[in-house]
Amino acid sequence: MITNQLALMRREIWEHRSIWITPAAVATITTLMAVAMVIAVAAFGEILNPDIEKIADATVPESMRRVALAVFLLGNTTVFLFAMWFLGIFYCLDALYAERKDKSILFWRSLPITDAETVVSKLLTVAIAIPLATMAGVIVSHLLNLIIVSIWLASEGANPMRFIWGAVPLFDTWIAVTTILLAVPIWLAPLLGWFLFISAWAKRGPLLRAVLPIAILPILEYIVFRSWTLGEAILSRLSIITMPIFESIAKAGFDEDDLQSMLSENISLVSWLDYGRFLTSIEVWAGLVVCGIFSTAAIYVRRYRDES
Amino acid sequence: MTSLVSARNVSKSFGSVRAVDNVSFDIEKGKITGLFGPNGAGKTTLLKALLGLTDCDGDLSVLGLDPFRQRKELMKNICFIADVAVLPGWIKVEQLLDFVEATHPNYSRKRSEELLSRTKVRKNAKVRELSKGMVTQLHLSIITAVDARLLVLDEPTLGLDIIFRKEFYSNLLNDYFDGERTILITTHQVEEIENLMTDIIFINDGRLLLDTSMESLASKYVELVTSGEDADRARSLGPLYERDVFGKKVMTFEGVDRDKVSAFGELHTPSVADLFVAKVMGAAG
Repeated sequence: MITNQLALMRREIWEHRSIWITPAAVATITTLMAVAMVIAVAAFGEILNPDIEKIADATVPESMRRVALAVFLLGNTTVFLFAMWFLGIFYCLDALYAERKDKSILFWRSLPITDAETVVSKLLTVAIAIPLATMAGVIVSHLLNLIIVSIWLASEGANPMRFIWGAVPLFDTWIAVTTILLAVPIWLAPLLGWFLFISAWAKRGPLLRAVLPIAILPILEYIVFRSWTLGEAILSRLSIITMPIFESIAKAGFDEDDLQSMLSENISLVSWLDYGRFLTSIEVWAGLVVCGIFSTAAIYVRRYRDES
Repeated sequence: MTSLVSARNVSKSFGSVRAVDNVSFDIEKGKITGLFGPNGAGKTTLLKALLGLTDCDGDLSVLGLDPFRQRKELMKNICFIADVAVLPGWIKVEQLLDFVEATHPNYSRKRSEELLSRTKVRKNAKVRELSKGMVTQLHLSIITAVDARLLVLDEPTLGLDIIFRKEFYSNLLNDYFDGERTILITTHQVEEIENLMTDIIFINDGRLLLDTSMESLASKYVELVTSGEDADRARSLGPLYERDVFGKKVMTFEGVDRDKVSAFGELHTPSVADLFVAKVMGAAG
């Protein structure tokens, strides 16, 4: 069972190269942006990024520099989060559709692997493999960005060991980001389950068939009941910042200044994540149940549909 | 003899269409059975039921298992090629071997690699970069490396040229068949496998037309080549089917006394292809 799952997940990574290409591309873009920023500073003498300005300012207290570094890294991470959001959705849409499109489903089904094992491997890929691949990209991007800023600081005569490497809360940030990246698919679970079901069911155009009901049903609800409950639920689910794990941060506010002042009191991002609230949240568990229903439907469709 | 496949009153309907209609047969261990039928006869549906890819009515047992409900267990001891094009194009040959090795308990990677070393298939090539013949060689190298008790081939050589087709069947016999294993095969190129088969099954319109061994064909069926008045007299014996060949009449008889028929012309044992046409057309006529 575990051997099969590992082999199936490895197959997913072989087939869906976007799982590692996307984080690699984002890491490249964020690194190039850091290079461009440093070049712009060298050329125009003006630092456009306020976090970098604080990091480079020798008069800024150590605690504020640590906060500025953490916010700089989190800003960088946001790009990865959005990329992973799209990656997860498009992966699920393709996961059970591509094998029918290229007719390889008959080959996969000729092996001693159940339909349930196959669908579970798709869920595990989106829940574990994609976040971990994204985290690898985040780590590489953070290190490259910090190295680039260090080189620039050194060229300005500052000591990067003091300004960057001695101050940056790297491991705390990485643990917090890993937790967030793993929480995102759990939060998006009902939508990912829905997309997986559509990818097993749709004969063509899975994207349209997946998105249309999500777009139309809230409008119908509004027309018929003059209420917006479904729309709000879907929008809340689509948004990463509404995750219960951010409840403590949400109370403090999502504005960068709010975040700065919140972190200046307690620099540990890990301690600001609301694990208990996330794990006991009815929304999270209800979402997982919905995901389970759609995934079961996907298994049923894969098992009973005649592909000839 | 041990029945590896036992079908009793097996039926499968799609809406009002009965694709397989009350079919019963057995396939015994160590046999090479050809399953033949015209397009739409129900062959593929029947094979899918045998492979657990679709549910059906009636009693169907393959290797003592219920194929639909015990598909995973069944697939450990059964291999099939449903069509030459089903291997995924994106995968590399090496990855494919890795995957099968990790998921199939009865697969020998060493055996696959031995077989592939005799071909031009490169291990770092993607399947989509291979010719159709090479894809078939790759697929065959995988399934023949599985220590399976039953091999099911559904039009395995479709779209291949004659050299690859000959090679395919030659490899099948040399590398897979050992008298202990069992093969079930469907193809429209009946004449190419006529000498391989030990048994044949014909189906048409979802119904079983014939289920017999190749050995017993000669005693059950005879083909008469005749003309003129002899043809009229032979016709009174009730041929299964009659056709014209170069101005002569060729009649296929079932279960008649050879001595009786021999008085009217030249006798042959019908080829499987001719018998197939006779049974299908005879049933229709």
